[in-house]
Amino acid sequence: AAAQGPASAPAEPKIIKVTVKTPKEKEEFAVPENSSVQQFKEAISKRFKSQTDQLVLIFAGKILKDQDTLIQHGIHDGLTVHLVIKSQNRPQGQSTQPSNAAGTNTTSASTPRSNSTSISTNSNPFGLGSLGGLAGLSSLGLSSTNFSELQNQMQQQLLSSPEMMIQIMENPFVQSMLSNPDLMRQLIMANPQMQQLIQRNPEISHLLNNPDIMRQTLEIARNPAMMQEMMRNQDLALSNLESIPGGYNALRRMYTDIQEPMLNAAQEQFGGNPFASVGSNSTSGEGTQPSRTENRDPLPNPWAPPQATQSSATTSTTTSSGSGSGSSSSSATGNTVAAANYVASIFSTPGMQSLLQQITENPQLIQNMLSAPYMRSMMQSLSQNPDLAAQMMLNSPVFTANPQLQEQMRPQLPAFLQQMQNPDTLSAMSNPRAMQALMQIQQGLQTLATEAPGLIPSFTPGVGVGVLGTAIGPVGPVTPIGPIGPIVPFTPIGPIGPIGPTGPAGPGSTGSGGPPGPTVSSSTPSETTSPTSESGPNQQFIQQMVQALAGASPPQLPNPEVRFQQ
Amino acid sequence: MEPPNLYPVKLYVYDLSKGLARRLSPIMLGKQLEGIWHTSIVVHKDEFYFGVGGISSCPPGGTLLGPPDSVVDVGSTEVTEELFQEYLSSLRESLFRRESYNVFENNCNTFTNEVVQFLTGRKIPSYITDLPSEILSTPFGQALRTFLDPRIQPPEGSPVGPPNGQS
Repeated sequence: AAAQGPASAPAEPKIIKVTVKTPKEKEEFAVPENSSVQQFKEAISKRFKSQTDQLVLIFAGKILKDQDTLIQHGIHDGLTVHLVIKSQNRPQGQSTQPSNAAGTNTTSASTPRSNSTSISTNSNPFGLGSLGGLAGLSSLGLSSTNFSELQNQMQQQLLSSPEMMIQIMENPFVQSMLSNPDLMRQLIMANPQMQQLIQRNPEISHLLNNPDIMRQTLEIARNPAMMQEMMRNQDLALSNLESIPGGYNALRRMYTDIQEPMLNAAQEQFGGNPFASVGSNSTSGEGTQPSRTENRDPLPNPWAPPQATQSSATTSTTTSSGSGSGSSSSSATGNTVAAANYVASIFSTPGMQSLLQQITENPQLIQNMLSAPYMRSMMQSLSQNPDLAAQMMLNSPVFTANPQLQEQMRPQLPAFLQQMQNPDTLSAMSNPRAMQALMQIQQGLQTLATEAPGLIPSFTPGVGVGVLGTAIGPVGPVTPIGPIGPIVPFTPIGPIGPIGPTGPAGPGSTGSGGPPGPTVSSSTPSETTSPTSESGPNQQFIQQMVQALAGASPPQLPNPEVRFQQ
Repeated sequence: MEPPNLYPVKLYVYDLSKGLARRLSPIMLGKQLEGIWHTSIVVHKDEFYFGVGGISSCPPGGTLLGPPDSVVDVGSTEVTEELFQEYLSSLRESLFRRESYNVFENNCNTFTNEVVQFLTGRKIPSYITDLPSEILSTPFGQALRTFLDPRIQPPEGSPVGPPNGQS
């Protein structure tokens, strides 16, 4: 207790009880009547565990200075003094954003972490300084074995950092995705909670189906400044709404009926949707700024699982401007193309390589990724949309230089998707050893490519998902390469996808990312998904793909593989 | 050392019923109420109030309620704007989170009362803070409570959901 014993002063100072009240708590202090404020603060600092210079005492509207005395201010027995404890670094949470940024102290882009991987994770995959690498995430304080939680945290972190947001928004891929209302709508509709929500509130479906509104929204989403402006106005409007007695109820209803489910939908998978909080009050909204409120609607799920389409792969580390090379041919075919490009371009960055390395070194991470619920749905939607997947794959820069490959790929795609659905595949994907093996294979292939370029037929400038490469290459008895092969390209996209292009399109990158494939191949051939029944050309094709993904410059894949298998 | 600045603190009082309470309360509640009071604090050229969305601020008189029905001068404070904002953030995390809003027990007037005491050491007029208990002491008020208080389950089929959006 901070009670100060009676001083040995000549006069008998009366001890008075003064209550000190902070916004959060209050405590009673017994102090001599003639204490100085400084002495009082010292007692307080002990009980409240702060420094005295962080304490600000207020009584009767006056700020008590250290050299004053309690008597001077008329502080007598039984009175209450107010205290504010100044904090040195206020967490970002002061803003209206509901982000739980407080938890993740590494807010905003800062401190790239270098991990143990050989390739410096400073060349982190997506050009984001803050998140050095997948494995580094745990050191960022985002340690969570649950990938979805991890992603939530990442998302929150991302969203709480305007810098990151800007990076992401400026990503051409994100922008192109954002500019396609159909895409957006598909994404949003794909979320089951959204669907529920839409059933209950048909106005939302109107919103989503209205291309103008979507376009407008996307416009705004693309322009962060505009968005902020809108959000601010929205907030203001909403808060004004609240002060009306009837308005409370209406607002509350809006919130509970629409916004909360949306928020929950988003949160369930991606934890926290700052946009939703702005009030997804669709058409039933107050009339204050209907256009704006409506526009909010699609935004609520920026991290909606890819489900359909767009899987812009991007790993959990918030892809952003990472798409170095990609977007060249994207514009041609639209967003799916862009997605594929993005995916491919992701792979080609050294960061991706490091990422994949980290992945293999941290199998737990991949497992977590895979266990994320949306992964499944992503796969499912991919398999249901073979066209989409086809487009994505085919438009990746990997293939642009090699039309024959495209042709080869085309018929394979449905098979790919099927394989992805195969639970064996998935279990293989989550098998750390398998992944490692794949990685090894990939590396082996790369080495081979450099050492004996003549062996491997030139493929296309590879985008290297190392893992992918390995997937194909299992040496020896791994016949299953066949089915695995096609899967490989997808795997990396999968789990890595989610954060990807961020933006409303959300993760959904099929094909890109994905842990070192389900190609169980090397380690557990028996487990591998469906034994290869592929024919030669299929295998060859797969090999080529893997090679391309592996990023080996002279692919020349088929031959050695054939050799291996034989 | 120069004397610290003194900032005036005003209490904006609004009658949410716009006069209806004065006329209808004897009939509906059995006692005379002069108004349904909503208050906010104006200091540092901003109006601060607590509502369902938490602690908010706007330019004085800038809410949808328009200009206040009366303004009470509650004194002055030395508390700077910066310090006040910090104080508000602490409040946002403790007693006045957005979900802690309760129309009877932790409402806008509760907030205003806290803040005024912090700023000036005074309390707001008692007719404002006594309002919830006045209402709840009537049978009609008790009935109303089932609709307005989210902690009380409304009877089946009640049209109005709890304003707090909880549960």
